[in-house]
Amino acid sequence: MAITKELNISPVGRVEGDLDVKVYMEDGVVTRAHTQAAMFRGFEQIMAGKDPQSGLIVTPRICGICGGSHLYCASSALDTAWKTKLPPNALLLRAIGQATETIQSIPRWFYAIFATDMANKKFANKPLYEEVVRRWAAYVGTSFQRGVTASGRPVEVYAIFGGQWPHSSYMVPGGVMCAPTLKDVTRAHAIMNHFRNDWLEPIWLGCSIERYMQIKSWDDLMAWLNENESHRNSDLGLLLRAGIEFGLDKFGQGVGKFMAYGTYLHKDLYQSPTVEGRQDAVISPGGFWDGEQFFNMDHRQITEHVKHAWYKDTAVAHPWDEPLPTPLPSQNLAQTNFNDKYTWSKAPRYMSHAAEVGPLARVIMNGNPANHAHQIQDPLFLDIMKQMGPSVFTRALARVHEAPRLYVMINDWLSQIKLDDEFYIKPQETDGRGCGATEAARGALAHWIEIEGGVIKNYQVVAPTTWNVGPNDDSGNPGPIEAALEGTEIEDPHDPVEVGMVARSFDSCLVCTVHAHDAKSGVELAKFKL
Amino acid sequence: MANVLWLQGGACSGNTMSFLNAEEPTVVELVTDFGVNILWHPSIGLEIGHQVEDLMNDILAGKVQMDILVYEGSIIEGPNGTGTMNYFCDRPMKDWVSELSKVAGFVVAIGDCATWGGIPAVPPNPSESTGMQFLKKQKGGFLGSGYKSKGGLPVINIPGCPAHPDWVTQILVAISTGRIGDVLLDDYHRPKTFFTDFVQTGCPNAISFAQKVDGGFGKRGGCLFYEVGCRGPMTRASCNRILWNRQASKTRANHPCLGCTEPGFPHHDLMPGSVFKTMKYLGILPKDVPAGTNKLAYYTRAGFEKVMGAFENATGVNKEHFETSK
Repeated sequence: MAITKELNISPVGRVEGDLDVKVYMEDGVVTRAHTQAAMFRGFEQIMAGKDPQSGLIVTPRICGICGGSHLYCASSALDTAWKTKLPPNALLLRAIGQATETIQSIPRWFYAIFATDMANKKFANKPLYEEVVRRWAAYVGTSFQRGVTASGRPVEVYAIFGGQWPHSSYMVPGGVMCAPTLKDVTRAHAIMNHFRNDWLEPIWLGCSIERYMQIKSWDDLMAWLNENESHRNSDLGLLLRAGIEFGLDKFGQGVGKFMAYGTYLHKDLYQSPTVEGRQDAVISPGGFWDGEQFFNMDHRQITEHVKHAWYKDTAVAHPWDEPLPTPLPSQNLAQTNFNDKYTWSKAPRYMSHAAEVGPLARVIMNGNPANHAHQIQDPLFLDIMKQMGPSVFTRALARVHEAPRLYVMINDWLSQIKLDDEFYIKPQETDGRGCGATEAARGALAHWIEIEGGVIKNYQVVAPTTWNVGPNDDSGNPGPIEAALEGTEIEDPHDPVEVGMVARSFDSCLVCTVHAHDAKSGVELAKFKL
Repeated sequence: MANVLWLQGGACSGNTMSFLNAEEPTVVELVTDFGVNILWHPSIGLEIGHQVEDLMNDILAGKVQMDILVYEGSIIEGPNGTGTMNYFCDRPMKDWVSELSKVAGFVVAIGDCATWGGIPAVPPNPSESTGMQFLKKQKGGFLGSGYKSKGGLPVINIPGCPAHPDWVTQILVAISTGRIGDVLLDDYHRPKTFFTDFVQTGCPNAISFAQKVDGGFGKRGGCLFYEVGCRGPMTRASCNRILWNRQASKTRANHPCLGCTEPGFPHHDLMPGSVFKTMKYLGILPKDVPAGTNKLAYYTRAGFEKVMGAFENATGVNKEHFETSK
């Protein structure tokens, strides 16, 4: 007799439609997992044949959550194609836009998406459960409202320079549209100061930003935690204590390979934008880490596979060399043959490897001893990876670790804006190829453009969610979330909370539905929304 | 008290993100103080452990009352009218919407994709996207031009890419507090209370517009209508009256209005020369002129202002007046 239990655990913010995850379990362990992105809009096809600047309007609308990141890429792709000149002010204001969008997303993601999972009844027998519920339960938790309200502040700064958030197009080839005044800059400082005083220091850290940023290793972090009650009782302190107590460090390992493009182009190092010059100009460093050693980021190592995606088969190729995708008929989950095509997401690969992208990838790159003087140098997560490895816990910790540094950088960049200098240098429009990349809150994002005859010939977007939720590649190797689910132990096969937490730790931008199946009989055991 | 079901089709979640920035009231206040009961929402649903498919079936069976259906994103009908490019709960989303719209008290379409198809519906429209009751300016859309909800209104369109959070929250409050009778809809089914004035109303560059002083990217002052394609004079929305994120608006940040509350956005379907450039006849005459003007009369008046402005510049009168300070 088949036992079918359907349960809606809770939803996550989504972008490109629904994500279904099908897992097969045997003896309480996930043996196989498949991800299915269930919606197609065809943005790349829409841009073909259109005005070369279309990406500035169209691509932020791919994702309302990471729209500023798409704009950062779209403007940069045109900069490199048109060989523009960028004034330092423009580079600063673009970085401020990208950073305010990302720091906004940290409390919004933590409280609205991640922490509510820790209030799941699965953890009811843990000593810290009551405190977790008191603070982080959706809507009624004491920190929930303050954190979610504070999350709206940084994007007020984005709006001062971009007009609105989400969906501004203020970054344009050659610079930015705005020419801010003194009162814009002073107001932006004041808003960020509110964000720090309302949430970041008193609620989140329980200490000053300066004190937190002294932490360089896992032992430092534990020493910080036990230094005083203020640290222990901060929301970060509770995440550290409850995360370990709930065993979140024990599952969701993934592919163990990480990739970041890096971002925040330095104001003095990218005034003549080129694809080749990008990696040395970023402040947040990029790269590829295979678990042991670092490799320089080289976008030419990226390919996309479509064997398991609902597109007409094409050769494995770099995005510049890929044709625009031709959609094929899709199926719902029940009718899907997972040996064939099963998702709208392609499978991107770096040096032929599936790679995890996101905050954890970024903070690992921060530990690369080869980082330049103008780049972030922070060995903490390389140490955490060596001591604990990747997990749901490590991913969450990486995401929130970025908030203090972003705060410092935003204020720093604001103070460097020179009100008498240029904000925009009108470019010459030409044909050519360009590439723009950045780090969206949830990971590596890049656009590739080819302009021919004054119109867009080819536009390819590879989003962080594509990297993480992508399917098997042509050789049958799983994508990062698929891999992270394999081996996960499930306490109650009819309520596999662990599966949800793994998928959610990647912060995929899709509403994620997990379908759990018995590996031998194929009977569906449970289905629930994340 | 009003039960709200919020669904997303061909969406980017931008309207939800905008909604989360709401201030008066906030989303939390909407729930706790204004009796808006969110049955389910893809990002912020309160019903934990309640499977959305069961909920929708209960609504269809009449077991749960759905006062308001909020729909974000385009209706995806592709390929070939099947809607299978957008599955939701094992069925094409369009089939759910078709059935749910028959039992909804009111249907509210949020954002350009839901109202008129938006960017997904730009040719070649690969997903066969349409709006709830319009496709661009054409009435009909997915539900048909004759559709009315149980409450007696057609789809209430709250356009914008994204819609301003106040437009959304205040319409929800109007319905839940029994003021729906005060909501007057225009020809495009937009609530007149938000979409009667033009974006230009409250724009700090309105004087530059009147006196034909050009602006441009990276510059302080001047009007963006003449060179970089601002659509503020022909776009109905309250952006410059209520501001965005409590701070600014596109035109206040020197960003041309894209006309995103008017059907047809992105205008001219992104054809070459239409993005951040004013489309012109003979290199000088704007193809799109301010709403409520006769083209010939506008060109004549504008030409006169332009000439007088040049004269004033030459005699040194105007220049100082339009200098802006950092």
